[in-house]
Amino acid sequence: MRLRSRVAIWCGKLACTLSRRLGKGSGSSLPGRVARKIDPEILSVMSGMVREKIIAVTGTNGKTTTTSLMAHVLTQAGKKVVWNRMGANLMDGAVTSFVQAAGKSGRLDADYACIEVDEMASVRVFPQLRPDCVLVTNIFRDQLDRTCEVDITCGQIQKAMQAVPEAKLITNCDDICSYTLAAGCRNPKLTFGIGERIADDMPAGTGESVFCPSCGCRLEYDFVHYGQLGVYHCPDCGLERPEPDMTVTDVAFEDGAYSFTLDGRRIESGAQAPYNVYNTLSVYTALCAVDGPREGFEQAIAAFDYGNNRECAYRIGGAHVQLYLTKNPVGFQQKIFLIRRDPKPKDIIIQINDTVLDGEDVSWLWDVDFSYLHEAGVASIVTVGTRGADMEVRLKYEDIASRLGRGIREAVEELTKRGSRNLYIITNYSGLYPTIRMLDDMQAAGKEGISQ
Amino acid sequence: MKVTIGHLYPDLFNLYGDSGNVQCLKQRLVWRDMEAEVCPLCAGDEIDFGKLDILVWGGGSDKGQALAVDYLRQIRQDFKDYVEDGGAVLAICGAFQLLGKYYQAGEDRIEGLGILDIHTERCDERLVGNLVLESPLFGTPVVGFENHAGRTIIGDCTPLGKVLYGRGNTGDGGYEGVVYKNVIGSYLHGPLLPKNPEVSDWLLERALRRRYGEDVELKELSDEAELRANRNMVERLVAGRKGQRPFFTPADSN
Repeated sequence: MRLRSRVAIWCGKLACTLSRRLGKGSGSSLPGRVARKIDPEILSVMSGMVREKIIAVTGTNGKTTTTSLMAHVLTQAGKKVVWNRMGANLMDGAVTSFVQAAGKSGRLDADYACIEVDEMASVRVFPQLRPDCVLVTNIFRDQLDRTCEVDITCGQIQKAMQAVPEAKLITNCDDICSYTLAAGCRNPKLTFGIGERIADDMPAGTGESVFCPSCGCRLEYDFVHYGQLGVYHCPDCGLERPEPDMTVTDVAFEDGAYSFTLDGRRIESGAQAPYNVYNTLSVYTALCAVDGPREGFEQAIAAFDYGNNRECAYRIGGAHVQLYLTKNPVGFQQKIFLIRRDPKPKDIIIQINDTVLDGEDVSWLWDVDFSYLHEAGVASIVTVGTRGADMEVRLKYEDIASRLGRGIREAVEELTKRGSRNLYIITNYSGLYPTIRMLDDMQAAGKEGISQ
Repeated sequence: MKVTIGHLYPDLFNLYGDSGNVQCLKQRLVWRDMEAEVCPLCAGDEIDFGKLDILVWGGGSDKGQALAVDYLRQIRQDFKDYVEDGGAVLAICGAFQLLGKYYQAGEDRIEGLGILDIHTERCDERLVGNLVLESPLFGTPVVGFENHAGRTIIGDCTPLGKVLYGRGNTGDGGYEGVVYKNVIGSYLHGPLLPKNPEVSDWLLERALRRRYGEDVELKELSDEAELRANRNMVERLVAGRKGQRPFFTPADSN
């Protein structure tokens, strides 16, 4: 290894230690930034040290879950895996995960790398990361103030794929947007998809999924799982959803979790949401693509926590508290689906912020159909956050009563004191980690209270 | 009394939650015990402008706009007659641009409807961010979110308002949007109407008076939540800035 790369890794590691000591940030991006300053090629040096395969995960929703699920399955199979466990998915975040995994000598002891990559960052990251396989989870409407339009996101990923022509591209063929994306790439391809219904009817996706990408005619859908994911065809030019290379069958939802058959294996997962069936299927498809270890896949899945330490359940006072993260319309609609499926009465706190991390434009709240909360056993809704007032207005125009709270802590305290037994908290990104810390503290304080 | 709201090309022009404008108008009629009918007018549909009281047309992607051009040509004359006759229109972003003569993107020129004497030129820098404007039409500042690469030159037309925060039509922070007869064109998403109830009611009132006579008055609604959300943004973006004159006074005439 060049001395320069070695120094870059050392300094990155030093930055990591320092930022932790000083308590400045989580250190998920700074080490990478430092290392890159010293050696701009550091990512390609380090990715070159991975012994077996490199898998990149991009797309709109489910990147973090899919990446951690992939890392989990590979680790269970005895592989050493580098992955961005902190979810920092821009260039610096990708580099940081490698820097942290490297030893003092600067050497990397890893069989696999599973790296989550932001869609818009893929153009810069892929040429250096040189993945063997790129998994695109799905393409939904996301933070439009940053990505502008779905077509632009697709264009970025296509451009990134051109830089790594050997990499296998894995896409969700139930997603017309991913289908279009893949059609514009010359890479070797593999698809996954689900041909039997796995979710109740929820509103079909908008805009990008309506028209045939090839002839412009209106597409017809046999059914839609959620968002625009479903079985489609064009009545005019004959374009149709391809038969997926990998699929799941005999999907059952029992005792709050999904089980299904995948490549002859019966999988009993802890997945509560249909999107995690997709995430699991996509991981398996990627493993097939790189000929990775699949023995023990069932056991690994059964032991996996889909909450990623992000979407956790807590007990505070007498209340069961479920935290959900939501960042875009399809994600929010899915959380409403999950809340509605819970037959017990519930209270909901919705926290909407508009920092750069969240997207400063909150108009996406109007692309969510909140009318599904009408018959969902909702006793009360409190809205909070820098755009809590916008959320209140959004619900008002659905004739759903809510109240603007002063802050999330106050809202949780008030509801739990008032005897709420079933509380859902939905937050967008910038509020997630502060809320997790707050709920951890509140839960711990409650336990102390009991033990005293 | 019944108001018919035409939602133009909901399948092509539905970026950034703009369909919320339709929902907003509809609810404000329902809350006043009036009847509201929403007609989605899809690409290729026969459009009977005589039936319409308000036409809502949202922002679209570049691809969507290009697809719409042929359809627009077919409805151009009817659309123009409707506007000249005082029909109410809300046109946001891409739709605002298409009301004009053309949209110039490098070498490519997309022909607009030419209903308004305005035109748009695409620039490399995209203008993305919150915007606050004050308008002589409304007592409360108007808030929204702009996201556009086009610079719209409105010439002698009347702007919707003066920009207090943000970039506006030409990016220089001067003016935003356009008002012509009962037409409002604007770059503002948010969507525009829910946080700006006065703008909603301006459209509703004009639509009702055109159909049912000048003495129609709109019943007051409690806009507490809407104005709270509006004020939240105004205070954050404008009120705290030093040297900013109070915006609740009517706009200076000079």
